[in-house]
Order: sequence, then structure tokens, then C-alpha cells
Amino acid sequence: MDTPEREDRLLIADEFFLIAHNDTRGKAKLHPAATGLGLAAGLLGELTLYGHITVSGGQVSVIDRRPPADALAHTVLDQLIGESQHRAVNVWLSFLAQSATTSVGERLARAGVLRRQESRRLLRTSVSYLPIDLNAVAWPATRLRALLDRPDPPSVPDALLLGLVVAAGLTREVLWSAGPRAHHRLNVLIPALPAPLKELVGHTEAAVGAAVLRGIP
Amino acid sequence: MPSTSTVDRPSNVSEALARGRLGVPSVIFFVLSAAAPLTVVAGVVTTGYGVIGVTGIPLAFLVVAAVLALFSVGYVAMSRRVENAGAFYAYISRGIGRPAGVGAAWVALIAYNALQVGLYGTIGVAAEPVLDRIFGGHPHWSIVALVAWALVGLLGLLRVDINGLVLAALLVAEIVVILVFDLGQLGNPADGQVSFAALSPDNLFVPGVGAVLVLAILGFVGFESAVVFSEESKDPKRTVPLATYLSVAIIAGLYALSSWTMTVAVGPDKIVAEAGEQSVGLIFNLAAAQLGDTAVTIGQVLFLTSVLAAMISFHNTTARYTFALGRERVLPAVFGQTSPRTGSPRAASLAQSVLGLLVILLYTVNGWDPVVQLFFWGGTTGGFGVLLLIATTSVAVIAYFVRHGGETLWRRAIAPGLATIALVVIIWLAVSNFADLLGVAPDSHLRWALPAVYPVAAALGVAWALLLRNNRPDTYARIGLGAASAAAAVRTAEQQAPTPAGAEVSR
Repeated sequence: MDTPEREDRLLIADEFFLIAHNDTRGKAKLHPAATGLGLAAGLLGELTLYGHITVSGGQVSVIDRRPPADALAHTVLDQLIGESQHRAVNVWLSFLAQSATTSVGERLARAGVLRRQESRRLLRTSVSYLPIDLNAVAWPATRLRALLDRPDPPSVPDALLLGLVVAAGLTREVLWSAGPRAHHRLNVLIPALPAPLKELVGHTEAAVGAAVLRGIP
Repeated sequence: MPSTSTVDRPSNVSEALARGRLGVPSVIFFVLSAAAPLTVVAGVVTTGYGVIGVTGIPLAFLVVAAVLALFSVGYVAMSRRVENAGAFYAYISRGIGRPAGVGAAWVALIAYNALQVGLYGTIGVAAEPVLDRIFGGHPHWSIVALVAWALVGLLGLLRVDINGLVLAALLVAEIVVILVFDLGQLGNPADGQVSFAALSPDNLFVPGVGAVLVLAILGFVGFESAVVFSEESKDPKRTVPLATYLSVAIIAGLYALSSWTMTVAVGPDKIVAEAGEQSVGLIFNLAAAQLGDTAVTIGQVLFLTSVLAAMISFHNTTARYTFALGRERVLPAVFGQTSPRTGSPRAASLAQSVLGLLVILLYTVNGWDPVVQLFFWGGTTGGFGVLLLIATTSVAVIAYFVRHGGETLWRRAIAPGLATIALVVIIWLAVSNFADLLGVAPDSHLRWALPAVYPVAAALGVAWALLLRNNRPDTYARIGLGAASAAAAVRTAEQQAPTPAGAEVSR
């Protein structure tokens, strides 16, 4: 499987986070349930891309136990190894979704892309992650839009990110100005993903849909 | 499936996912708050007495409760094995086949829309006394209905499901008011003596019996939704069945009691005439004489909030149903899209609102009666559709267990078999009594035109499914799976390997 070719590129979950919070004040563009699930899928996707895990038949399997370089990926892999009695993709998506917004936000804060800010309103403390450089946080969405305007197919990590954007219901945020050709490219892109990633995207879309059906924000 | 480790060691995953799991009381609250008891007691039961003219309503609630309890035995057993467990058509597509499933889905869409839109007919009457008290006057029913429509549409789009705590508080208040009213009615019987005449079977097994049974079914709509919480309940094997049976029992007890005490206070011989005359006002007029002004005001305000809550709840149910069908691509994929920021099923919610607006305008322009012709006809026609769905689901449960096995003989065959027989009898009675149900002349075209909507929709749905099977097998494979169809699509695409699944993904 391809590994991300450029080192300066952000990780999948990081880019998803920025697309889902693409706003000058770091406010969410996507409802919390879908954000959490999209980020969780991003984290599992990173491990899949680096060859640590694979997804097949609705199950996650660890295939390489060596620790990944990224600290968060390392934590997630440890959890997967530590709780091997749970293997269903949807269980891991819902579990990781609970903490993904915080953990990915923290990772972006450590990378110097975002700045953590606590605000107290009444008795509740809410944490938000504010952009440090507005161009940097707007970049992933812009980059994806440009990718779809190009005739050559995007790299596997980019295709996965696009797949997760579609699955979480963020298509319009990315494609707001794109023409029919870009929409068409997006449509053929997910079926062309490698099988484990295609399945991950499918499970993410299913989990987001289930959250909407349950009526839980 | 790998064997799970037998050692019972603490698991962060299990623990984190178990947090916030629902117990029996929470699930019952969810189910009952959609049932909106005061809407049924003050609106449906009184109009039912007046329109149908049969005094067997209290007994009908008990009979229907028994049938639904029998039905639930197989239904909850199957719910654990079905994805998209909240929707009847999912059971039908798994049990009888996908074409039947699509037919059922279309029937369900019509039935739930009829139930929701029907409520716009009663909001004007419900708001009348409250507005009178505040402003000393009230506008035409259609103005109130349009305001309510705008509110429901907006909340649906913003996905403001009313806060669970608010709903629970309203529900408890409604039940308390109903019970207080019941006590008032029992304490002031007509002719000075509490009469049990309305509970006599003679009053139920009369020519209008089918109509009364459909009316009773209408009171129970929503009991099926406990299974939605299978995945979020503490112990699906115990929580969901218990919550379902208790919901049916509570609804039956409350409605049978209230509809009986009404006859006690008015007099079993006079209830039909009085209900026909006073309609929705009946129980409030009784309470005014027996309990005083304050109780009436509280009751009227709660009736208004009850109708509003029911509207919002049915709007969301209908929108989610449409959303699930959009996710499966059985309806256009656009219905499966959500608003990113709120996660509301945007297109599905808008479509439901547009239908509501059209119906309100249609009734306003033609000057049709909102209470009987919109609220009552919409409610009973919707209730009849739900009856058809329950009966078909009951057959599907039997068919499913015949093929897949499992469960005890009682759960997989006897209980659903008895329920099916009873439900078919109710349907047969209802069809032959449809004119009584609507309160129209025995030769009115409406007596067959309204129920005929369902077989026509079902036939069209089946035809559509067969078209899908031939032209879009990927979509066909997803039928009945709801949101989970996205994950299933990957599996089927792999099985049918060389066919490019991409041809189908249309967004």
C-alpha cells in the first residue's frame, strides 16, 4: 500500500479536522457525531495506510505491532492490540469517536497548527482549537478541491480523505464551487479505493447515518 | 467471528460504550412521549366517540393491547437480528422479501405522513382556549396551523429534538392531568352512579367494531420504536422487550381508563351525542364543571404542548424514515443527505414540511373541517396504514424464523401466528367498517378510496423493487438495511466482484 509521499503533508485525521472546522474561530462546520466518526475513521485510516492494521469483513485486524512514529497513532494501535476481543469496525469507530475531536485537536496543537483555548460559560468549560495561521487551516479543503479539478487520479491517502469527507456528509463544504466533472470524479473515486479503505469508508457512512437515525446530535 | 476472550477483564472500550446506555424507564419515556397521551385522550377518543358512535372504545384499547403484546413477542425476538430495527419495512424485507419491503416502505411513508399532517388539523382547536385567555380572541385555525407548521419545519431543520428532560416532564404532567380528570369524572357520575356499561362486550361487537379497533391502534402508534434502542440499551435482551410490553400496558391502562371514565361522567347512553357536539372540548368542559378553572387551564395548555410535541415527533420520525430510504437509494439519494452543521436529514425534513403546507392550504382554501376531516381522517387513515404494517410484519416474523430457526416455538410461531390471525380479522373488520370509521355515509366513495391508497402504494413499491432488481442490483441488495446499507454495499460489491460498483454510487 502506498504511504503518504510528502512528509510536509498533514495526517488524514488532521486534515479532516481542519476541513470540519474550517472557520476563522475554529467553530465546527459539521455536527459532533459525524465529526467524531470521521476523525475516528481518519485515525484507523492512518494505521491502515501505514500497514499496521487492515479492515476486512467488518473486522479490524492488527498486522504490524511495531510502534508508529506518531504518538496518537501509537496510542490507537496500543488500544487495538490491548483490546483484541473487540474487532468490529463499527465498535472501534464509535469508541474512538468519543475522544477523537480532543485527541486530534491536541495533536494539531502540538504540531503548532492550532491553539487550544478554554472558555468558561456558566459552569461548563468548553475547549476549542483556534487557527494560528488562517491559510494553513484552509489549505486542506482548497487542496482537495484542486485535486478534483485535475484529470489524474489522486493519491490513495487523498482519495481516502475525500471518501471520509463524503461519508461524513461534508461534500458540499469541499465542493461548493466545483463543477459536474469534479462531482463525477468524486463518485468514481471511492469504489476505486483499496478494499480495506473502501470498507472503512462504507462503515463510516453507515455509522454517520445510524447516528442521524437515532437522533443523537 | 473470533471467540471473544472468556476472561472477564476490564475493557475500556466496553466501558466507554456502555456509558450513557439506556435502562427500561428511559426507553419507556422515549416511546410514550411520542405517543402524546393527552392528544389521544382529549382529541382522538372524544372525536372517536362522536364520529364512530360506538361506546366500546375502552374495551377496544384492551383488546388491541392484547393483540399487540402477542405481536411484540416475535417482533422483539426478531429485532435483535435485524439492522434498521426501528422500521417495519426492514422486518418485512428480511422476512418476506425485498419487493414486499419496498411496498411496505411506501405504505409506511404514506401512513406516517398522514398521521403527522393530520395533527395540523387539531392544533387550531387546541390553541383556541389558550389564545382566548391570553389575547381575548383567536385567529382562524389555518393561521395557528401555519405558525405550528413553520415551527415544526424550522425545528426539524435545526434538528432541535426537544430536550429529553422537557419531554419527560411534559409527559408526566400530561399523565397526571389525565388521571386527575379521570378522578373528577369518576367522582361526578351521570345519574349519580358509576356505570360499567361501556365495558360490556355488547358495546364493542357491534357494526362499527372495525372502526373502533383502528382507532385504538392509532393510540398505540409509537410502541414499536423501543427496538430502535436495541444497541443503546443496557441489556438488549431484557431492556427492549420489557420496555415494549410495559409501554403497551401503560398506554392500554391509561386510555381504557380515561375513555371509560368519560362515559361514566357523561352517561354511557349520552356519550356519543355529547362527544359529537363538544368534540375536543368534551373533557375540558367536564373538568370545568368538576374541578374548576385552574385545572382546565392547565389541561388546555398541556393539550396544546402535547399536540405540538406529537407534531415534532412525527415530523422527525417521518423525516428519518425518508432519510433511511434515501440512504438505501430506494428513494433518490438526495433524501439521504444531511445538513452538515446540524446533522438533520435536510431534504427529507423539507419534503415532509412541503407536504404539510400543501395540505393546510388545501383545507383552508376549500373550507374543509380541520378536526374531523383533517385530524380524525388523517389519524385514522394513518392508523389503518400502521395496522397493515403491523400485520405484514407479523407474517414476516413467522417467515423469518421458519428460514433462520432459533428462538422458542412460542416466540417464533405460536405468538406471532395468533397475532397475525387477530390482526387480519381486525383489518377485515376495519375495511368493512371504513365508512363508520370516517363517519361518512355508507355509500361514500371515501370508504374505499382512502384505504385503497395503501394497496396501490404497496403494488407500486413492489413493482419499483422488481425494476431495481433487474436494473440496479446494487441498490436492490441494500433494501431494508437503512443507514447500515452503506457498509453492506461494500460487501455485496465484493461478492459480485467484476461489476464496477462505481456506476451506482450517485450523489
